[in-house]
Amino acid sequence: MSIEINDVEKSFGRFKALKNITLNIGSGELVALLGPSGCGKTTLLRIIAGLEAPDSGSILFYGEDATNRHVRERQVGFVFQHYALFRHMTVFENIAFGLRVRPRGQRPSESEIRRKVHDLLNLVQLDWLADRYPGQLSGGQRQRIALARALAVEPKVLLLDEPFGALDAKVRKDLRRWLRRLHDELHVTSVFVTHDQEEALEVADRVVVLNEGRVEQIGTPDEVYDHPETPFVYHFLGDVNLFHGRVHDGHARIGETQVDLTGGSDHPESAIFYVRPHEIEILRDGGGTGTIAAKIRDIRPLGATVRIELERIDDRGSVEVELTRDQFGRKGLSEGDKVYLQPKRLRTFDGNTKRETTLEAVNR
Amino acid sequence: MSSIALPSSISRTRTASRTNREPALVRWLLTALALAFLFGFLFLPLTVVFTQALGKGWAAYGAALIEPNALSAMWLTVLAAAIAVPLNLVFGIAAAWAIAKFEFPGKSLLMTLIDLPFSVSPVVSGLIYVLLFGLQGWLGPWLQEHDIKLIFAVPGIVLATIFVTFPFVARELVPLMQAQGTEEEEAAIVLGASGWQAFWRVTLPNVKWGLLYGVILCNARAMGEFGAVSVVSGHIRGMTNTIPLHVEILYNEYNSAAAFAVASVLALLALVTLAAKSILEWRIKQQTVDRS
Repeated sequence: MSIEINDVEKSFGRFKALKNITLNIGSGELVALLGPSGCGKTTLLRIIAGLEAPDSGSILFYGEDATNRHVRERQVGFVFQHYALFRHMTVFENIAFGLRVRPRGQRPSESEIRRKVHDLLNLVQLDWLADRYPGQLSGGQRQRIALARALAVEPKVLLLDEPFGALDAKVRKDLRRWLRRLHDELHVTSVFVTHDQEEALEVADRVVVLNEGRVEQIGTPDEVYDHPETPFVYHFLGDVNLFHGRVHDGHARIGETQVDLTGGSDHPESAIFYVRPHEIEILRDGGGTGTIAAKIRDIRPLGATVRIELERIDDRGSVEVELTRDQFGRKGLSEGDKVYLQPKRLRTFDGNTKRETTLEAVNR
Repeated sequence: MSSIALPSSISRTRTASRTNREPALVRWLLTALALAFLFGFLFLPLTVVFTQALGKGWAAYGAALIEPNALSAMWLTVLAAAIAVPLNLVFGIAAAWAIAKFEFPGKSLLMTLIDLPFSVSPVVSGLIYVLLFGLQGWLGPWLQEHDIKLIFAVPGIVLATIFVTFPFVARELVPLMQAQGTEEEEAAIVLGASGWQAFWRVTLPNVKWGLLYGVILCNARAMGEFGAVSVVSGHIRGMTNTIPLHVEILYNEYNSAAAFAVASVLALLALVTLAAKSILEWRIKQQTVDRS
């Protein structure tokens, strides 16, 4: 089922939680609402569910106006951040709840409920926990039971509020891959809220980046990561280095350094260049043009990659570079070394049009 | 929630053990002091009640209990509690539900009002009813005209009992419901439950032990209340005397064996209440341990 969100606004007292949110979610899509805490993502999710009412704007389910439809009639499944399992009921009864509260005419028979609950327990691979209470389960198990409970009512839309937020790193990774596979199997339109960019990029078909109640960018994980439309998106999706400079006549000037470019428009006044840590090359020597001299301050190996913190020689701030283990090994860098940085790709945003330009450095 | 609760509970026990390293002498002294206090103020009076009650033998004890005025007092006490407790149960749940699950103007005022019977002397609570419904009171003449008797009659006693005992259930439930939040109810509604179904299937089962605890305390107070009831009762023997009032009358007549015999019924009630309270506290603790 497709969801259309038209110009939705919501305030809590004087605080504007959502401003002019317009968003279309296609049938069967898995969409992530990504943003820092307080950006309004959970409010938006609760408005889609019908747990909050928007101050203005409308929500359309499958082209039909559902703005004033009660939560009960929206046929949504909602997985709460802290799962909200009924603590006095067994896992079985938790999942059966949605079926048992149906009006008598639509209520399935006891044997049918039994079959359905066990199907769902099998789906989330926890059939052996049917008689336990929520208090006896681990976080990952609770989360999967909460999902099974939400799916029991055969929702047209599945909404998940920080589904992996309360889990530890390993379980979180496993569960999000599992959720992705589950979605591919069930194809139910799903929206989940997260503040973790890695999670959004890995799991979602499309990512909606929110900031201070506004949509910053909507796009596939590749689009938002490779072509961030605003500086905020750039900052939020991964680490970034900032260089102040200018663009003129086919090259970028950063301090005393001149980087040759393959194209791009002029920013003669001033420009801020955004460069991801893995888009910078470290050269042992090569103090010519096109490189920025820096001194290594700190080296931190982080699993498969190595993070290097450098201080610019011209005292204009620090730079972070990410190398693979291999690259790092070949270069033989150590703390205190003087090296040269060569950005491979620079991005800059036009202050007026907020348009992004990517500038490729000339490979020499 | 649980993954957060667990480490904090561990650290709590750790700090407790670290700070509990008082010298043995201090620990013994404090324990002895507490025990001596309990002995002097609780255990001793309780023994006195029972020895005095049985001072003239079992026969006199039994006679004092089945004497018509005593039976009538017991009946009235049970009646007042039987009306006051269910009413306060409903009121307490409604008030706690409103306070814990909704935001509305005047919420803090409501909470203050619920505490009012605790902060006002019971005698004053009784007097309020006399001033309202008594012969010289505001509504007295109107009531007399319509031949309705509230003060110095059973309805007055029931009213005073309700007033004095109404905070118990609400006070017990409000913090419990506030701690539980509204997520489970929201989950129930999203799953298609009506508000009524959410209440019966989710809210009520979650607070049942706390609720029972409140009811027991409420009942104990309803049966033991003296001050407010004394003011509105008029002390008519066999008519408007509850157990505590009957005890007082017997004692004032120097009939101490009978007075203590009837008092022992109240003392027994207190012991049963204490036992029930401990069992419930244990249950509630078990439940919270299960959940974390």
